[in-house]
Amino acid sequence: MHINYVNTIKKNSLGITGILLLFFMSLLAFIAPVLAQYSPVEPSTQTLAFPSASHWLGTNDIGQDIFSRLIYGARTSLLIAAGAGSLTAFIGAFLGISAALAGGICEKIIMRAADILLIIPNMVVIILVAAYLRPGIAALILVIAVFGWQGNARVIRSQALSLKERAHVAAAKAFGAGNLYILFKHIIPDLFPLITTSFIYHARRAVFMEAGLAFLGISDPAVISWGTMLNRALDFSYLNNWYWLIPPGAALSITIVSFTFLGYALEETIDLRLGDKNA
Amino acid sequence: MSAKNLSDYLIAFFIIICLNFLLPRTMPGDPLAAIYGEEALLSLTPELKRDLAAQFGLDKPFFEQFLFYLLSLLKGNLGYSYHYEVPVSELLLRAAPWTMLLIGSALIVSTVLGYVLGLESGWQRGNSADKGLLTGLMFLSGFPDFFVGIILLLLFGVSLGLFPISGALTPYMGLTGWSLIKDVLWHLLLPLTSLVIAEVSAIFLLVRSTAVTVLGEPFILTAKAKGIRKRHIKFRHVGKNSLLPLFTRTGIRVGHMITGALFVEIVFAYPGIGLLIYNSVMARDYPVLQGVFFLVAVAVIVCNLAVDLLYRTIDPRVR
Repeated sequence: MHINYVNTIKKNSLGITGILLLFFMSLLAFIAPVLAQYSPVEPSTQTLAFPSASHWLGTNDIGQDIFSRLIYGARTSLLIAAGAGSLTAFIGAFLGISAALAGGICEKIIMRAADILLIIPNMVVIILVAAYLRPGIAALILVIAVFGWQGNARVIRSQALSLKERAHVAAAKAFGAGNLYILFKHIIPDLFPLITTSFIYHARRAVFMEAGLAFLGISDPAVISWGTMLNRALDFSYLNNWYWLIPPGAALSITIVSFTFLGYALEETIDLRLGDKNA
Repeated sequence: MSAKNLSDYLIAFFIIICLNFLLPRTMPGDPLAAIYGEEALLSLTPELKRDLAAQFGLDKPFFEQFLFYLLSLLKGNLGYSYHYEVPVSELLLRAAPWTMLLIGSALIVSTVLGYVLGLESGWQRGNSADKGLLTGLMFLSGFPDFFVGIILLLLFGVSLGLFPISGALTPYMGLTGWSLIKDVLWHLLLPLTSLVIAEVSAIFLLVRSTAVTVLGEPFILTAKAKGIRKRHIKFRHVGKNSLLPLFTRTGIRVGHMITGALFVEIVFAYPGIGLLIYNSVMARDYPVLQGVFFLVAVAVIVCNLAVDLLYRTIDPRVR
């Protein structure tokens, strides 16, 4: 299963689209301070302005520049995507591999926990937890990961179990390779495509969840988020304020679509159907 | 159903109850503040506070408090909404039918649509129609349900004025019979469409990939060799076999639908569970939030359990 990602994705038009879109959003997030003419948080007296040459997307109800908030919002979304995606993928991989290699009571406990978490509607739990704790970015990443690793761990475990029995692992053992050597030289590299797919899947889910929670009004109000923008803008929808509603929604959709395309392209190249995709 | 599986459900149920019990009590400060919100607490007299603390058993040791909580749940007491000044169960009963209407109709429409398109796409896999559908629906799946709702709201509600932009009924009209049904459907159409657009691609992808797998099975080759008509193979052989995973995913899909409906309801101010959650978050009406959480979590768990039980009857291979 050693795959040359670049070559396989290059042949997949969906994959290329995904990468380009993601690159575009990252670029926006990265150069946000250069691009923004105004502070994304500083209110002004010019409220609810229609788009103009000075404010490209107009201003909101407290006079903040919508364009500045839009590009700074990309930072929040992508930060959460990277953080929650990698943490969830890591926990899933760690617990899945541990279960497969350790076996016994350890495996039983981990798999039982995964089964139970699969039954619980995790978005609803996350909403409740967030409503009480009002998490900032770091806490949100943690909450998303704690309630997200289960499907991932099950897939990784079953793959690791079958890898353990393969001929090349047996051969390495016969040559006297230690458990750790086999783990790092054979099991983890072979599982890597699967871990990458789960990273992308959970990054996508995290972007959606962060925006959803912010849209519900249960996130740290100090964080600039597309979800918060949509929530505020919706209160003024009778003004037909498309210039305020559409951009954050479109940016959110582009980010999620880029992860969807990338994930699908990767999955197609790996040609492994992931079992439980619980979101 | 094995005992192990059933105990998973019981443990999940227990965790839900524990979360509901523990979360308000892990918050710093007065637990009454967590139950009623800081604002409400300011207006309470010390005597009232003491009475309320006794009513919730907050003056008792931790374990007794938990027993107390379990007992009141058994009695069907989900708490009292400070904000609306009615029992939480009453609020839930008022909101639940609208959400059930929305979710139920969205589940049916998106399943039928996703199934038909998925089967067609899988059958014609690789050609331009399949590729177009696949890319298009995957693109749509990136649109969060609330954003789909917002676009529809702006376009058909605000700009064109074709559909109502809020509510589930025209108020104070006293409509009855046929005109009432028409009014309800008219209000339902935009939220329903948003939910279907957001959910249909998952079903499409699932049916398509199953259909593609089934098409590679030996019995399809046998059927073709026997000279069975293509239509027959498509619907009787591939179509029927693609139904199963659709069914097993129902539990997960209901969970998705509930969260989806929650967001869509907020966009259209549709008076269901989602709007109730939103309003209670805004008013920091924690008892309502807890009650809704309990109801939704239990509903999803029961759905999963029902699917798990029925699955064994429908597919005898799993035992």
